[in-house]
Amino acid sequence: MTESASQAVALVDLGLQACTAYDRPDAAARLAAARTALADPVTHVVVAGEFKQGKSSLVNALVGANVCTVDDDVATALPTYVRHGEKPEAILLADTGRDPIPLADVGKYVVEGTREARVTGVEVRIPRKLLAGGLVLVDTPGVGGLSSPHAAASLAAVSMADAVIFVTGAAQELTGSEVEFLRRARALCEVVICVLTKTDFYPAWRRVRELDEQHLAEHCPMPLLPVSSALRSRAIKVNDAALNAESGFTELVAFLTERIGGSAADRLAAGAVAEVAGLCDQLDAHFSAERAALADPAAAQRVVAELTAAKAQVEALKSAAAKWNQTLTDGVSDLMADIDHDLRTRVRAVLAEADTEIEAADPADTWPEMEPWLRSRLADELLTNYDLLRVRATELSERVGTHFLQASGGLLERLAVDDPARLATVDGFEHKIDLARMRVAKQAMVALKNAYGGALMFIILGSLVGVSLGPIGIGIGLVMGHRGLREEKKRQLQRRRAEARNAVRRYCDEVTFVAGKDSRDTLRRVQRQLRDHYSGLAEELNRSNAQALASASEAATRGRSDRDQRLKDVDAELARVRRLRERALAVLG
Amino acid sequence: MSLLDRTRTVLDQAVDVYRGTELGGRLAGMRERLDAPLRVALAGRVKAGKSTLLNALVGERLAPTGTGECTRIVTWYQDGTAYQVRALPLQGPPRPLRFTREDGVIDVDLGGLAAEDVGQLVVTWPARALRTVTLIDTPGIGSLSERTVARTWDLLVPDDEETPADAVVYLLRHLHAGDVEFLRAFHDTEVARPSPVNAIGVLSRADEIGVGRLDSMASARRIAARLGTDANVRRLVQSVVPVAGLLAETAVTLTEVEVARLRRIAALPVREAEDLLLSADRFVNTMPEVGLTTLEREALLGRFGLFGVRLTSTLLRRQVATTATGLSRELAERSGLTQLREIIGSLFLERRDVLKCRSALLALAETTRAYVRPGGDAVAAEVEELLASAHPFNELRVLSSLRAGWITGRPDVTAELERLIGGAGGSPCERLGLPPDAGPADQARTAAAALERWQRRAENPLTRYEMSVAATVAVRSCEGLLARLERTR
Repeated sequence: MTESASQAVALVDLGLQACTAYDRPDAAARLAAARTALADPVTHVVVAGEFKQGKSSLVNALVGANVCTVDDDVATALPTYVRHGEKPEAILLADTGRDPIPLADVGKYVVEGTREARVTGVEVRIPRKLLAGGLVLVDTPGVGGLSSPHAAASLAAVSMADAVIFVTGAAQELTGSEVEFLRRARALCEVVICVLTKTDFYPAWRRVRELDEQHLAEHCPMPLLPVSSALRSRAIKVNDAALNAESGFTELVAFLTERIGGSAADRLAAGAVAEVAGLCDQLDAHFSAERAALADPAAAQRVVAELTAAKAQVEALKSAAAKWNQTLTDGVSDLMADIDHDLRTRVRAVLAEADTEIEAADPADTWPEMEPWLRSRLADELLTNYDLLRVRATELSERVGTHFLQASGGLLERLAVDDPARLATVDGFEHKIDLARMRVAKQAMVALKNAYGGALMFIILGSLVGVSLGPIGIGIGLVMGHRGLREEKKRQLQRRRAEARNAVRRYCDEVTFVAGKDSRDTLRRVQRQLRDHYSGLAEELNRSNAQALASASEAATRGRSDRDQRLKDVDAELARVRRLRERALAVLG
Repeated sequence: MSLLDRTRTVLDQAVDVYRGTELGGRLAGMRERLDAPLRVALAGRVKAGKSTLLNALVGERLAPTGTGECTRIVTWYQDGTAYQVRALPLQGPPRPLRFTREDGVIDVDLGGLAAEDVGQLVVTWPARALRTVTLIDTPGIGSLSERTVARTWDLLVPDDEETPADAVVYLLRHLHAGDVEFLRAFHDTEVARPSPVNAIGVLSRADEIGVGRLDSMASARRIAARLGTDANVRRLVQSVVPVAGLLAETAVTLTEVEVARLRRIAALPVREAEDLLLSADRFVNTMPEVGLTTLEREALLGRFGLFGVRLTSTLLRRQVATTATGLSRELAERSGLTQLREIIGSLFLERRDVLKCRSALLALAETTRAYVRPGGDAVAAEVEELLASAHPFNELRVLSSLRAGWITGRPDVTAELERLIGGAGGSPCERLGLPPDAGPADQARTAAAALERWQRRAENPLTRYEMSVAATVAVRSCEGLLARLERTR
């Protein structure tokens, strides 16, 4: 566990104690969740790249075991999740659940040609120090050209990963489609590195590295690490440190543990600490209000009145008529309409293209190529459509968050208005805004990552292609040529074209239907997630406010000596809360 | 009258009809082409190893090869009496160019012409391999510069009707079968009517498939066999063979000096040799006691590749081959070059008259349709008659229908049909599925048996229509075989 993580755990533990002491089970639930995430951090690193570039070999060499099947011919067809476990085991991930399978059978499921429907991946657990920090390596099927269905699936996986290792072989420089994939991957994921494999086999790898570095610098700056999986595997086998260094894997391992693992742990820690600081703000507001009432009985009446007003406001915030809630409801239905329209427009464009294509050539010749073309064109359009959904949903999430903050932020400030000490700490004030922003952004991310269940949608799409032209109408009758053959050929061609057009239409309809349903479901999940999150927050505010109101009202009725005693207590509590808050801010840096 | 004679007669007739028009010259060209060597184009994506394979087929390092994109202009390599290079600019008359040879490779001085303005280069080179076939090297499809791509397209899918190449060798790199890129490698055939009768596939850079392991070629053969049965590949090429291009090129240009250097590596104990050949970097930089300079080692790597060095040193150590000649033969065999040559021989060269007539007649049919002249009708009728009735063309049609999956039946039946009509090669033994040294009596007996079998199949009312039509073609082929045997007896 990193230093920041252990500090964060200590802080969260203090925060949990505070929750018990001040009777805040609602906040405790959130902190406990953060605590669990901290104790078992999971970092997904997706290994992506074109076919036959050595992705599986790279994963095997990294963990020093043959967990991913490497074959000269068949390529990986299912994602393999390699993670830490006490003893080696393999689990088949299916729609229906998780089935343990013998380790030796992994290959049977993972390589192409042996795929069962409904199986979505294989999880392999092995005891490894490298993985113990929560690192999960995801070996993916090859991309196969940027606009292929596989590329779309890979990019979808990338959008949910913590980091991406892009694998390219030293056989030749990065191709146009690889660079394009990297550009898009970078837009989706913060940490992307490029790894140049098979440096043992190609004498000219240094030249290829130079060329690749130029391409990367020009299009999407990122580090490039040359490695040799063959050397690494041998180094592990014969336990040769020098050979290991020569393989280039020391840099890669350092990068994985420090940059990727470290930064993910830091992000988690920062999130947890921010939760604690948020709790402190609420407690602070509560005690400040009580203190104001205690210190100046004349003002007590005003504080109570204000808190009562705040109560109404918080209740409004909780209600369905709250502005944020309306923004959310309206936003989601607008978004659904827009996304659907966008999808239909795109599919229509593809249809038009397909018609032109069919008109230009004989479907009997072009159909075998037409099918993958159609599939990849649609996958590309669906991905762009999903991009739009992602961007717009993030915007919406931010808008909802801002509206909520506008409504609630005022509350928090007003609760503390009588406390001059509080306003004096301008630093802290600014921090609060930062924290609030951070939470909004995070919420958007979490909502989408959890909401997008369709990572494998594109692969499912692949199995949808049941379209065929039937027995192609150019019978053997034409094999034996005779006069008048041209006219007959023409008639046959017209019929084939009509059949091809119909087949394409049916397929596009099916795709629109499935994709439309998927994006509507995604948006509904986003909506539910955001609503639950902000309703929960409103509930917390309500509780905090109710406690403050109760304490303030009680303060007004206390006797003088009683009041002095309580004032001392409250001051002590306030000091404690603020110390905790300061510690939290110090960790955040 | 043979097909070639009949085609010649029609072309003569057409030359008469179109005399005095701008087409006269082109038709005369077609007529000459009938008697010239078969034209085979090497096509495929960038960096598939087309030029390397061309050198291997010619047996000399003529075409420049290297890490970058090398071939930018379509280049013809044809036989002749003198060594010369001509440029055919897009505008203006052909002009001779000066060239130098560096390390065998021809370095052409374009003499002030920009590469974009040159339509094609014609290299005339007296070489035995070029006597039977003219090879055409193309810039890759999917090249970064748009212009070079357009050139390959022009060659394979010409704007005017004549297809410059009679047959095509496609180089494929190992890719996923459902890959868009993979299918795109064939894209150019789509418009030029895909035809498994005049194309074969080569799984190029086969040594890279197993990342240079000694059993890489075995893997490559397995993959090529699988590709060969893939429905999409079958309808585009006749057969797929793996070739390790670099090794093939080196095999036919091997020098004694290189063998001597490799012997030093072969002399090392197995463990040490393994350590030395663990990676390209190690090979160049470690173990000075081998007695080879860094430059010499780099040269070896450049010529053989890591796989080649591993393979040849093992062959020398195990004394599979001991002399340069023996090693050269062994490498040609192991790199897949020998098999490729055999396949080109049986699928292209033995059938060259049919392929050339096919190109000529298809071109002529288009011409008579596009340019109407008095007397053209008669030519068109004659061409259609020829295309529709000549038995070799019927065989080709049945072959493509079989390959496209339009004729179906029991696998052993379709396999026999494919063989009988010349799908595996045109010689009687290949057609009959007999060993190459089978005697005439054996051949006659097998042919007679096949004739009877297919006759029954053709007349059987339960045979599906498509199959019965194909069966009559097979019967004709058997009769042809028997007649041929009769003549030779």
